[in-house]
Amino acid sequence: MKPTAPRIFSELAREAFRDATRRRIVPIIAVFALLSLLAVNTCTSCAGSSRIVQGGSEVSVADVSGWTGMLMMTLLSLWTMVLAGLLASDHLAETVFDGSANLILARPVRRSEFALARLAGALGIAYVTGALVLTVSAYLLHIRNGVSLGAAFSAELACAAGAFVVAALAMALSLHLTRIATAISVLFFVGAITFVNIFTLFGRSLGGVGHVLQYFTPPLCTAVVVALKPWIAPVTPAVDPTIMILKLVFWMVASALILLATFRNQELGN
Amino acid sequence: MASVALELVGVSKRYAGRYALRDVDLSLSSGSALGLLGPNGAGKTSALRLLLGFTRASAGTIRLQGLPPSNPASRVGVAYLPERLTLPGRMTVRSFLRHHAALAGLTGAALESDVDRVLEQTDLAARAFDRIGSLSKGLTQRVGFAQAFLAEPTLMILDEPTSGLDPIGVRDARDWILAARKRGCSLLVSSHLLSEVERTCDQVAIIDEGSLVAKGRLEEIVQAGETLEDAFVRLVRK
Repeated sequence: MKPTAPRIFSELAREAFRDATRRRIVPIIAVFALLSLLAVNTCTSCAGSSRIVQGGSEVSVADVSGWTGMLMMTLLSLWTMVLAGLLASDHLAETVFDGSANLILARPVRRSEFALARLAGALGIAYVTGALVLTVSAYLLHIRNGVSLGAAFSAELACAAGAFVVAALAMALSLHLTRIATAISVLFFVGAITFVNIFTLFGRSLGGVGHVLQYFTPPLCTAVVVALKPWIAPVTPAVDPTIMILKLVFWMVASALILLATFRNQELGN
Repeated sequence: MASVALELVGVSKRYAGRYALRDVDLSLSSGSALGLLGPNGAGKTSALRLLLGFTRASAGTIRLQGLPPSNPASRVGVAYLPERLTLPGRMTVRSFLRHHAALAGLTGAALESDVDRVLEQTDLAARAFDRIGSLSKGLTQRVGFAQAFLAEPTLMILDEPTSGLDPIGVRDARDWILAARKRGCSLLVSSHLLSEVERTCDQVAIIDEGSLVAKGRLEEIVQAGETLEDAFVRLVRK
């Protein structure tokens, strides 16, 4: 009897998630998440003092808390995306290179089901961690600085989409590169895109190749900042939200297809 | 069930300019048992990988239960035991078998009872809740056999199935394989142990340097006064 595709996928994804939770890196991630929350708690605790001094003149905390919050949420989102990429950088490749994927793929399982399930397993850890850190941070900012929670929720969705793109591309790359090389690529990829995105956000053109990158690269950082637009009003990022969402959806689909095509052509050895 | 369990027609496989298999024709009718013999690096494992869709043939046609290996339906009822068995060390024996039983299409009570059945069959019931990583090589190989026997397969593809087993384990494995054959299960086994192939298979195929040098029933391959080992050496050194 052939099990149904949704049943196979849920079985594989559940096991991939469990496998991800058993990894030695998970306690380190938990410590980092805790440290991040402590840092956020410290950064947002000045709400009680109603005025601060900036450039020799007094400024209301409310005037800068939106920007501080936006910066914090953006940094934590980028941290979540990098985490997703690092977790994905060996979650599929390891099973391919040690041969444990062979036993699974000798069952009536499609390669696409296996690859997407492994991606879901790696993303599961990143999403749980990201959701916890971002939600607690947003809540602290909300009760202490009065920023809206709706924008934070949108930023979390943007972060989830960005993490998907980074993880899927890292997983595809890991089938051809070593784990270390893939991890370095993830850091470089997220860093370079953030750099390009920052120019885009403020309507500055990099020119030449930079302009092409501005147009075509996934809006990882941009999407989070645009989602948090109400926090930094009246400043408005110079980005069309509709085009940005379309670009993000395009990259989600494209990164998944790149992963599936790469894994479909992978020769399974051992 | 397809009348031909598996079939390779004119199959070649090249790795970086070197032939792992060259123009191989091989077939196994349902219910039969074929032993795949050959020296190290002859191409036996490559043939099994091609059949299971792990790699793609450079030329030729492959059918597993009447379907191309790229179709997952071709692997319904197929059990596989690789030569180098890598199992998830952090999983318990039972959770690993439950996972594979689910992927084989079992659900609910049928899944649990089948897991219990294979645990009993392979003498692993007492180790069901041990982590696989804590087991010896021989016991790990038994776990490999247990997953292969889940859901009563109709075709078993075994690559050096007795490696790592002690003499008792080897005898047990042979009994399990013969029991599966008695049930009507087709068998393709790649092995260095000619005596094991002799006892479990009715046909043999000998591969050397990627080419098929002999194929047929045991009595057709082995000449009068010869053992299978003699025939193997004669054909490979020819």
